[in-house]
Amino acid sequence: MGKIKKYLPGIWFLDPPKDISLDGYRIDNVIQYTDFVITLYFGIVVAALIFFIWRYNARKHPHAVYDLGNTKKHRYLTIAMGLLVFFSIDVVIETMSFKDLKEAFWKFPKGEKVVRIEIMPQQYAWNIRYPGEDDIFGTDDDIVPPQNILHIPVNTPIVVQLTTYDVIHSFYLPNFRYKQDATPGMVTAMWFQATETGNFEFACAELCGNSHFKMKGYLTVESEEDFNGWIAAQDPEVSEEDEEDDWGDEEADEGVPTQWGWLWKELK
Amino acid sequence: MEGIKMSSSKSIMSTHIFSTDHKTIGKQFLFLGIFFLLFGGFQALLIRWQLAYPEQPVPWWLLGFIINGEAGMITPDVYNQLFTMHGTIMIFWAITPLLIGAFGNFLIPLQIGAKDMAFPTLNMLSFWTFFLSGVVLLSAYFLPTGAASGGWTSYPPLSLPAGGIPGLGQAFWTLSITLMGVATMMGAINYVITVIRLRAPGMTYFRMPLSVWGLWLTSILNVIFVPVIAAGLIMLLIDQLLGTQFFLAGRLAAGGGGDPLLFQHVFWIFGHPEVYILILPVWGIVSELLSVFSRKPAFGAKVTVICMSTIVVLSSIVWGHHMYTTGMSPLLGKTFMFLTLLISIPSSIFFFNWLATLWRGSLHFDPPMLHTMAVIWVFAIGGLTGLYNATVTADIYLHDTMFVVGHFHYTMAASVLFGGYAAIAHWYPRMFGRMLNPLLSKIHFWGTFITINLVFFNMMVTGYAGQHRRLYYPGEFEFLQPLADMNIFITIMAFFLGAFQILFLYNFIHSMLKGKVAENNPWKANTLEWTMDYPIPHGNFSTIPQVVNGPHEYSNPNIKDADWVCQTVKIEGDS
Repeated sequence: MGKIKKYLPGIWFLDPPKDISLDGYRIDNVIQYTDFVITLYFGIVVAALIFFIWRYNARKHPHAVYDLGNTKKHRYLTIAMGLLVFFSIDVVIETMSFKDLKEAFWKFPKGEKVVRIEIMPQQYAWNIRYPGEDDIFGTDDDIVPPQNILHIPVNTPIVVQLTTYDVIHSFYLPNFRYKQDATPGMVTAMWFQATETGNFEFACAELCGNSHFKMKGYLTVESEEDFNGWIAAQDPEVSEEDEEDDWGDEEADEGVPTQWGWLWKELK
Repeated sequence: MEGIKMSSSKSIMSTHIFSTDHKTIGKQFLFLGIFFLLFGGFQALLIRWQLAYPEQPVPWWLLGFIINGEAGMITPDVYNQLFTMHGTIMIFWAITPLLIGAFGNFLIPLQIGAKDMAFPTLNMLSFWTFFLSGVVLLSAYFLPTGAASGGWTSYPPLSLPAGGIPGLGQAFWTLSITLMGVATMMGAINYVITVIRLRAPGMTYFRMPLSVWGLWLTSILNVIFVPVIAAGLIMLLIDQLLGTQFFLAGRLAAGGGGDPLLFQHVFWIFGHPEVYILILPVWGIVSELLSVFSRKPAFGAKVTVICMSTIVVLSSIVWGHHMYTTGMSPLLGKTFMFLTLLISIPSSIFFFNWLATLWRGSLHFDPPMLHTMAVIWVFAIGGLTGLYNATVTADIYLHDTMFVVGHFHYTMAASVLFGGYAAIAHWYPRMFGRMLNPLLSKIHFWGTFITINLVFFNMMVTGYAGQHRRLYYPGEFEFLQPLADMNIFITIMAFFLGAFQILFLYNFIHSMLKGKVAENNPWKANTLEWTMDYPIPHGNFSTIPQVVNGPHEYSNPNIKDADWVCQTVKIEGDS
């Protein structure tokens, strides 16, 4: 691939954003397997089409063969084709996907080292909350950094719980190959782990209004010492008002009351 | 059959406007569908302009002067209205009338040997209700706050007043789709009953052309699932207008509220079958036309029918794959993935049958056949790329990105467009008595085929590279800035794609007036609609035909001096 790319005008074969997560490779793998196998099948279909066009066009082949394709042999053959496709593509990707869900995406980490974060998007910004020293959400020592600023330590499992202040949003982390909807009236959860430090972006993936396209967050992945230092430097319970023009939406301009945290929902 | 009254007064009102003749109603649906297709396509070009040239005013040749806003620039609210109305119009007011309205009406009675629909007046009422729904939809543009902008899925709470979209645009949207559902329901009941009750003697179910099968299965899905979305939409409408809280929760709701996820479930319980409602007529038409232009029976026609019927059943229990990222229970996610993947068995079986129909045939590459072969190509890509979205883990990354947009444009836009063009090219001589210009048809075909692939495939590429949907300005994100060149390329290709459709429109209108006069059966097809002289009279058949063959007796060795035989003619020597 690398060689081909050099000779093409740069717009072809675009890569996804850099994967900096522990489990993102699993998603890349299942996508790559699907790429490979559907390219193969599509290639067979195209080869067959080209061959039929060349061999059986009316000029070369003026008399069609009368064949209803309804004998037992034909039926077994077509059903075998269906099952071949099912077992070579569907069963494989299903097995891969279920295994990944069980081993990674739906296996929430537990223990001391886990960093827990509550995120509540609003039109059109991200409110982020850390539990503070007492490790309990919704208390006075919660850390609420300025809107849209998310810091996480590297090589540490991060569990995020989401709900929303107004409409449905979706917390989209392209560098982690992950997204999770935030829906009114319910708390959803996701977890991820970074393997590299640096500055990255996150976005809202669900249409949430006119400024949906501007709903950007800034993610900083840093070492544990830097992260602890950053947390210590934050004043507890300072929720900055959203200064941006929200396209005349007065409700969003009111800002979010500082006490928006909820009690951490224990997962079964 | 004697119950059909032939209209005695011959005024224009009764023959061309409020006609109960299924052929006239079919043409009315066709013209209205083409109008909305062009309108929706024009909106698509404006969306593409904004994605490629976000800082520049819309040029005059894209009618930039009608854009309200600063100096002809598309503003975020106008942009959101554009993609909302583009999706809504294309699905409900372009594809639905083109395939189901136009060809459902035109073909079903003619191909099964009936004098008209079972309920001709209801049929007329269906068209005019549909017309009214279109008027309601478009009238939203005259509201001071403009049309709906909550996306074609219109998820609450965004689509409710509490979601922050000002004005009545969303309520107009909901009302117009509900009306459209009423019209669809009237048509669907008519089609289902016509096929069950009015088949000519000898026209058994398995002697029906596959095009009728596709349209019939579509109508069955419509009859079952349109009421579901109607219920959801009426709840949404009274949420919007009367302040109930079926779909409102959290801070915006007073005293508990309802559940926004409920709407998503109701929407997709209808919405996923809707995908098959749109594509089943195409499958039927493709299966039928492949047989005609290969001069060979449709390979395993019975198996194809059984596969399509199986998909109809499966399509109703897979809606959850649109909701993997909503936080649904892991068990549900797995179940929906498994059920979704099951669809690939019947799909690949009838797809194999399509290819096997070509095998050892005698292929005639007339314009209808070119479009039919294009459906095989685009539907293969569309179907195979669906695998990514069915996979829970891959979908976590690809959901709500341009990948999904590219994928469903392949299955719905490209497949349905080529299927529709195939049908128009094939039955044009029956509808208008003249032939489309073959040279213009071929130029239109190749131009469309090349550009449509460059547009939709590259949309998937940008989605794989991370670009999420419904973005007014992707450059806002650093990780999307490298995609700027690609977005410009897609836009330029989309303009070419649009230009080729103008060529089609010219050919369509010009041939109606000046095209070569068609013979009665220019493609030498077996089915009943080709048996009478043009113009086909109100009532179609002077005597109801007696059907003795299946529709696919092409190149039967017992036929002398021809490779086809009408369904009403007995083949000597056949058992």
